Amino acid sequence: MTAAAVAGQIGSINVRVRRRRRLVVAGLVAPALLVVCGALLVPALNLIVQSFLESSGYGGVVYHFTLSNYLDAIRDPTYRKVAWHSFGLGALAALICVVAGYPAAYFITFRLHHRWRNLALFLVVISLFTSYLVRLYAWYTILGGNGIVNTALIHLGVVKHPLLFLLFSRWAVLIAFVNVFLPFSVLMLTSAMQNIRPELLENARDLGASPLRTFSRIVLPLTMTGAVGAFTYTFILTSGDYITPSLLGGTSSTSLANIVSDEFVALGNRQAGAAISCVMLLIFFTVYLSLSRLERWKGI
Amino acid sequence: MTHRRPHVSGLAVYTVLLFLFLFAPIAFVVLFSFNKTAGLTFPFHGFSLRWYRAVFSSPTYRESIVASLRVALITVVVVVVVGTLAGIGLTRHAFRGSGAARGLLLFPAALPGLFVGIALLSFFVQTKVTLSLWTVTAGHLVYVLPYFVLVVTSRLQRFDYLLEEAARDLGAGPWTTFRRVTLPLIAPSLIAGALVVFSLSWDEVFITFFTIGAQNTLPLVIYSTVKQSVDPSVNAISTLLLAGSLVFIFSVRRLVVDLQQ
Repeated sequence: MTAAAVAGQIGSINVRVRRRRRLVVAGLVAPALLVVCGALLVPALNLIVQSFLESSGYGGVVYHFTLSNYLDAIRDPTYRKVAWHSFGLGALAALICVVAGYPAAYFITFRLHHRWRNLALFLVVISLFTSYLVRLYAWYTILGGNGIVNTALIHLGVVKHPLLFLLFSRWAVLIAFVNVFLPFSVLMLTSAMQNIRPELLENARDLGASPLRTFSRIVLPLTMTGAVGAFTYTFILTSGDYITPSLLGGTSSTSLANIVSDEFVALGNRQAGAAISCVMLLIFFTVYLSLSRLERWKGI
Repeated sequence: MTHRRPHVSGLAVYTVLLFLFLFAPIAFVVLFSFNKTAGLTFPFHGFSLRWYRAVFSSPTYRESIVASLRVALITVVVVVVVGTLAGIGLTRHAFRGSGAARGLLLFPAALPGLFVGIALLSFFVQTKVTLSLWTVTAGHLVYVLPYFVLVVTSRLQRFDYLLEEAARDLGAGPWTTFRRVTLPLIAPSLIAGALVVFSLSWDEVFITFFTIGAQNTLPLVIYSTVKQSVDPSVNAISTLLLAGSLVFIFSVRRLVVDLQQ
């Protein structure tokens, strides 16, 4: 056999091995992809298609292309008001979570002995994994008319009658949002701060930088990725939430998710609901993209 | 240590207050689950287990616990099998489109629950699928799969493939190698991932809200109970849920500690 023939044979064996390997890999990944396609991709594409079709009354659909679902959604003044409300509350909650998370994350990372640091982080993880619904319910009982806050206020003689505006208000929703999402942002910020070498902070102090300047020139730029991640995650999950506004918000706080759900369930206009959810998704995507540019920011 | 400045203790106080804010509400729920009377206010009238008895004697709670367990267990089994295979496929050999496949498996985690829930509901209505615990399970599958794939791939990326090659050189077939070498080594991560999946599914309300049929899961029963009136038995069931989460989190911690050693 000539050298060329041997080389050719080895080559063809190689090709066969590689082809088999590719088949095996495809076989391994295929079931998971099938799950995602069947239970998400196809329904999501269907929803996008639906948003461009006409509704024919209760639950029905006319296969006729239209933009009216989108135009109606954008023009409707009630929807616009609720949208501002939802996104505003979500952005405020996300901002509070990040700002309130920074001092705690800084303390846990740089001021605690590593054993205490692990304990603190473990506590944060525990609160992250305690039921979301249970925490909402806890605020429900704390802020209610017969709740702990009102009883304490009456007992102390601060007020005569229970403050009924505590529960079923935007503030109740905001407090619950911060309570639920704060652990996540503390965790994100702590893991971002672990990449900062403590010597860097000492150097800055030795060179005469004030704590504020050290924070804004070193800590903030180096943890920007974590801050943006925490903000985006909180913003998306809070402004798209249905459960918290419906439990704690009362009638004063209709959410966008509430409107979508009403279009679907109560009014049977799936096409309008689809259009609103697509617009929401587009807004989330835009916020995410524009915020991720902030990560390259190098400090003040 | 260097000398302590006043602002240091300020940070400490702040952090303690933050932890109080996180845990005090939960502590109230646990405390009042043992209350003798139906009130949710101080003064506390004494300990009793009456709300726990109320939970266990209520068929609604019992049925919903069974339903939640069923959904969570089916979700765990499917996700562990499908996710482990995908994790191995994604980390072992780079192939054309592996980046895209990875992205496709992880992106559901970035979608708001509202979008997933609405997309599924719309799809089920259109294809005339009756809403049931199966449609709930479908939603949970896509919601938890990314988290499991993340756990498994991050373990497999640190996997020493020489161990597998050694087994093969000693004459073990691919299946034996997987069963006797690969699986025991990645098992702690798989169990940790399975526990994460279980707890996510067990606690899920948002996607479930849109895909639920006649049979309710436990979180939805709690949701509708709270929505209607204040019922102190919710304190007891919430405490049971919390206890479940604690068991879960301590077992994951054990596993992670074992992994590091």
